[in-house]
Amino acid sequence: MTLAPDATARAARPLITSLIDEATVGAIAGEAWVALVGEEELLVPVPGALPEDALSTWVDVVGPWTGSVVLTAGHGTAVELTRALLAEATPAVLEPEDVTDAFGEIANVVGGNVKAALPGPSTLSLPQVGDAPAVRNPDDVCRVEVLWRGQPLVITVQGALPSTSPQHENPHHENPQHENPHHENPHPNGVSL
Amino acid sequence: MKILVADDSRVMRQIVIRTLRQAGYDDHDIVEAEDGRDAYEKVRTEAPDLVLSDWNMPNMTGLECLQALRSSGSAVPFGFVTSEGSADMRETAADAGALFLIAKPFTEETFRENLDGVLA
Repeated sequence: MTLAPDATARAARPLITSLIDEATVGAIAGEAWVALVGEEELLVPVPGALPEDALSTWVDVVGPWTGSVVLTAGHGTAVELTRALLAEATPAVLEPEDVTDAFGEIANVVGGNVKAALPGPSTLSLPQVGDAPAVRNPDDVCRVEVLWRGQPLVITVQGALPSTSPQHENPHHENPQHENPHHENPHPNGVSL
Repeated sequence: MKILVADDSRVMRQIVIRTLRQAGYDDHDIVEAEDGRDAYEKVRTEAPDLVLSDWNMPNMTGLECLQALRSSGSAVPFGFVTSEGSADMRETAADAGALFLIAKPFTEETFRENLDGVLA
């Protein structure tokens, strides 16, 4: 049997689970936290339930593997992270733009290092903040759940393309998000490439 | 001496400036730029002794800024501080005339290792 060209390309596409594992993603995030947030700011590998106001930030990787590196946490955690990153430069009143900036920059650093661990050449997008991109293929996801200062944080490295398997064609959200009118950069279609 | 810090993230500019201070470069003047185009213009108006620039920025990337500076005759010392530190990018940066590429996340030791030769 001869596969159509499109089917051949899809079949040859590597899944993220064959390229990087949870331990590597966790180590990359842990290193980013220690270097940028503080030496004693550890990510504890314990899962926790995300709150309803969870917010995501991500960068897209386009190359031999194409997808997004997504960080999801409660809004309060994103605000706390912003204060930690700004430290003494934290303004008296934190603006939503500050949270978008800080949360996005963490995704940029983690995503940049994940990209470096993946086969290239590939490109990295600017960070975005909003509702998490949809998971198109549950098999093409590397998911790490941690606690930072006791609050849950989920890091996923997730493919942007649908499965070659028919039962996975329907996109769905890895972390169901609730509509939040305060999101600065909503991502309704789940694909930003 | 004067250091120009270019990054589209205000938070990251603050982190870079804080790390500069922690690394011992606390007696230098700091100028900020919010993208490559802003950095290009401020090199001309502020005449910094060193540019520390992000790579991936809107309007004009750090690489485009460096290339524009070199093609305009500027020889200002230029280093990247970026979340991507692949061998290809380091080679591209060096070919364009960058002195170094510091990958995020960085430490004050990383800053000293790369900046001492430039600012000492």
